[in-house]
Amino acid sequence: MSALVIEKLSVVFGRFRALDDLSLAIDPGEIRAVIGPNGAGKTTLLDAITGIVRPISGRILLGDDLDLTRRSEAQIARAGVRRKFQKPSVFPALTVRENLEIGAGLGCPASERSDRAAMSLAETGLEARADTPAGSLAHGEKQWLEIGMVLASRPRLVLLDEPVAGLSDAETLRTVELIRSLRRPDRAILVIEHDMAFVEAIADRVTVLHEGRTLFEGGMAGARADSRVIEVFLGR
Amino acid sequence: MVEGAGRAKAWICGVLLAVCSMQSAFAEASRPDRAGFAASLCGDGAAQSKALDEFVRLSGEAAIDDLAVAGDLLRGMLERRFLCLGDATLLLDKAGASEGRDVASGTVHTAAGGRSPVLGLRQRALVETASGIAALVAGETVELRSKGLAAVERRMAGVPEAVLVRAHKTESDAGLKAAIGVAAQGAALSSTDPARRLAAIGAVADTPSGAAFSRLSALKTDQAYRADAEFRAALDAGVARVERAIWIGNGLAVLYNGLSFASILFMAAAGLAIIFGLMGVINLAQGEFIMVGAYAAYGVQEVFRRFAPGFLDLYLLAAIPVAFLAAALVGIVIEALILRHLYRRPLMSLLATWAVSLFLINLVRVVFGSQNLQFAMPSYVSGGMPLYADFIVTWNRLFAIAFATATLVLTLLILKRTPLGLDIRAVTQNRDMAACLGIRTRRVDRLAFGFGSGLAGLAGVALCPIYSVNPGMGTTFIVDSFMVVVLGGVGTVIGTLVAALGIGGANVLIEPLYGAVAAKVIVLAGIILFLQRRPEGLFAVRRRR
Amino acid sequence: MKGAVETVPMRAPRRLVPALADDPLLAAVIGLVLAAALALVLLQPAPYLVNMAGQLAAFAILAVSLDLVWGYLGILSLGHGLFFAIGGYVCAMHLLSHAYAVTGVAPDLMQFMGWKSLPLYWWGLTSAPYALGLALALAAAIAFVFGFASFRSRVNGVYFSIISQALVYVAMLLMFRNDTGLGGNNGMTGFPLLFGHPIGAPGVVTGLAVATLVTLALVLAGTRALVVGRIGRRMLACRDDEARLRTLGYSTTRLKLGIWCLSATIAALAGILYVPQVGIINPRVLSPDLSVEIAVWVAIGGMGRLAGAVIGAVAVNALKFWLSAAMPEAWPFILSGLVLVVVLGLPNGLLDLATLRPKPTWLRRDGRLG
Repeated sequence: MSALVIEKLSVVFGRFRALDDLSLAIDPGEIRAVIGPNGAGKTTLLDAITGIVRPISGRILLGDDLDLTRRSEAQIARAGVRRKFQKPSVFPALTVRENLEIGAGLGCPASERSDRAAMSLAETGLEARADTPAGSLAHGEKQWLEIGMVLASRPRLVLLDEPVAGLSDAETLRTVELIRSLRRPDRAILVIEHDMAFVEAIADRVTVLHEGRTLFEGGMAGARADSRVIEVFLGR
Repeated sequence: MVEGAGRAKAWICGVLLAVCSMQSAFAEASRPDRAGFAASLCGDGAAQSKALDEFVRLSGEAAIDDLAVAGDLLRGMLERRFLCLGDATLLLDKAGASEGRDVASGTVHTAAGGRSPVLGLRQRALVETASGIAALVAGETVELRSKGLAAVERRMAGVPEAVLVRAHKTESDAGLKAAIGVAAQGAALSSTDPARRLAAIGAVADTPSGAAFSRLSALKTDQAYRADAEFRAALDAGVARVERAIWIGNGLAVLYNGLSFASILFMAAAGLAIIFGLMGVINLAQGEFIMVGAYAAYGVQEVFRRFAPGFLDLYLLAAIPVAFLAAALVGIVIEALILRHLYRRPLMSLLATWAVSLFLINLVRVVFGSQNLQFAMPSYVSGGMPLYADFIVTWNRLFAIAFATATLVLTLLILKRTPLGLDIRAVTQNRDMAACLGIRTRRVDRLAFGFGSGLAGLAGVALCPIYSVNPGMGTTFIVDSFMVVVLGGVGTVIGTLVAALGIGGANVLIEPLYGAVAAKVIVLAGIILFLQRRPEGLFAVRRRR
Repeated sequence: MKGAVETVPMRAPRRLVPALADDPLLAAVIGLVLAAALALVLLQPAPYLVNMAGQLAAFAILAVSLDLVWGYLGILSLGHGLFFAIGGYVCAMHLLSHAYAVTGVAPDLMQFMGWKSLPLYWWGLTSAPYALGLALALAAAIAFVFGFASFRSRVNGVYFSIISQALVYVAMLLMFRNDTGLGGNNGMTGFPLLFGHPIGAPGVVTGLAVATLVTLALVLAGTRALVVGRIGRRMLACRDDEARLRTLGYSTTRLKLGIWCLSATIAALAGILYVPQVGIINPRVLSPDLSVEIAVWVAIGGMGRLAGAVIGAVAVNALKFWLSAAMPEAWPFILSGLVLVVVLGLPNGLLDLATLRPKPTWLRRDGRLG
């Protein structure tokens, strides 16, 4: 079985085909990186999975059977899909703890919620800031809080949108660690990234997107050797 | 009214000249007739009616100069220049003059002791018709004759066909000749000759109007309608044709009104949409910018009246740049003082602009008072041209439509072809990126706000020949213009145009069927339903978020 | 950043802590409201003062209803006068049909409309519980339909505000018509009785004012409990970043719709209490300006704080009662000046004056998703 199956997915903006008959399958426990030049359709792919944009054709199956294409964003999230946005987005008026409790989601019983929040607090090292409004956290702390929110929800599928864009090398290393800590046998992780070194460090397999289509799929070493990939990345 | 009196005076002079020049040739033969006629006009109601009926009945064959003289008398009677003095009758040059000319002898005589005859309602109508007939047949100028025709058409039933046939034959002006022809057909409706009646029905139906409809449907009570199958069929067909034409004409009128309403909405909403697209600010004071424009137009009118009364007609054109600048200036001041601080708090900017609108309304109320302003209507925005059936292209609405079209073209040119337009589009689409590229976004905001406010000021000029102008006028348009922005989508001029046409048209279309309130309810419900399908409005491109 | 921690007004509400302990200002306001109610009963001041206190309390309830959606959900309704008017109209219908049933004297409205009896939709309104239920249900139902259509298609922000304004505007045009059978232009007035007692009797006036004050206190306590609870946290999350909350699996549409309907119901309650105290209802309560004014009260008092809504409503309306009698020409200028000062200088309204706090970071809306 697969954690996520995408079948012949097409998304159109006006006349522009952002995704063109795209197919993709991710196994449980896998970390998959999706790379590609700007405009390849990477963010659109995440938007389609999370229900922010509606495809004109194709299917997105979570765990072989649950079709996400007809569901609302909230339903998709409740099915166990979590996304970390590129820009840290936490709720500034709520405390760190409240953010984590909200992050645990509706699927989590009320009794369990505070336990999960406490666990996430420990995992992200934000215990000291538990009752601070998230709006007054420092930038890096917000990033960790957001990953904590993902953790608290125990998701089946995690989507990470350029998690290391604009980070220093040290911060990138810390993020690699955090993402590895997310890894579990029953959880698939899909990462969008430009940074090839980062991708090589965490991903089991990579998918190279170009103009809404899959150009290559396989190991990072294979991608580096593939002539079409080189052409797309290095220019004509 | 004043104008009418002036023309009447000219007419009198003309007729008097004619009478004087003809006197030598026809004096002997016609004098007794005229004196008798004049004398019976001094009698009681019955005598007046008898004389007038007689005059009307014979007017088809009467001599031209008799008609002219009689017309002069009747005109004088309506203007209280006709005096009865014992057995004699006097015609004065002007009402209240101290002496006048004796109608029978032509000698000058003092007016002292004379009384002007009293006219009953029925007699007054008869006098008007009779004087109209005289003017139509014997009038000197085209203008006089067409006025005569208008008077005759008011009470067609009593007018002998022969009068119109005669006038049609002698008329030299082509336009008037055609009009008389139409009227003659109307008169032929009551002809005794069945064939002519049938022809007349067809002819009347050829020039449809509300008047033609009532004239034809009046014939359904005629006994021929019951007795004569051919007549009945012809009449029914004619009525149906006129009805259809009136329906089309009214439809055109509705569309025309909708178009002019939409034009004003467009001008009010275009500024709103540009500002909203650029800054995310909905300006609740936009209606008051319209008001500022209208009051600026009023100010320009007063300046013309004071310093260049001869060119008063031009004030509306001169008001265009003034109103634009006035509203733009107010807009820029408000932007600089208030809105600049609120760009990241759009809901607070709503309240701030509401406060501005409250302030402006009350300021104008204190300074100018809350009554409607009186505008002198230049000739190019008064009246209109009948186009089809009862549909008249009125110049004031055409002015608004043409104005809006020019504004649309200008706005598109500014947005697409000028550096400012490029800046506005860049900032609308990506403010941060534009700022990085060195565009001074604050300045663009301010200019765009001024531009958008100025467009509202233009709307104020366009609507002052159509709607009333007072401090609260802005509220009439403001809710509709918001709906235009919501429906049209953010920051697209074309979307605004289409939405304005749609909402203006829908309002005007639904109004005659279900009433103005229902129109608003239906339009609002329609917009909310529409947003279910396209939350970003008509013309907003689906974008990546 | 550190300094801001203590100053954020939306202090973290701890679970199980009594809702009021965290907000001493609100506790004080509720205490004052109840004290005022007690004072009206014990001291029996002049009837016009009693009446004014009651009217102010009704406006305060209305302001709280708007603050609930604006301050805590970020939905600025410029059409809340609609729900207030629904409560007011249904209450007026009850008062008229009640008086008709008791005295047998036909109300002016019937003569005006040429009715022999009250039309069908007036049926049952002689019963106060039915009228109360109808008013609240009607407000909730209309709020539901409008809210469902808007929230489902994600109409929000300024869009929502101006569409809600159009809604109240259209309702005003509708009620100005005589054929709605609700008094048209003149509205409804001349209510002689309340529950069988003459409506102008001192006891009735005091009773109404006290009932309104007590209702205000209850509404404040109830909404406070709501906003500090789990739902309250979701409301704040939704206000600050709705899209993000949705990606966490919450149906923001349902959340917004629920609170929106609740808010409409509270506004209707305010209308119900208001009308017998002023003795008239007409379409002017549906004027868009009045609905904006409600938002102005909240902004002036301080949005996002229930106490702020009460303080704003009372301060602005007390000032209005006084000034529109003393210098009616000047009132609009003072009001617009007040709005501009608050909007530009005091983002938390009058509460800023009391504490002179620096601007809390979350109000600047930094760090939002694009």
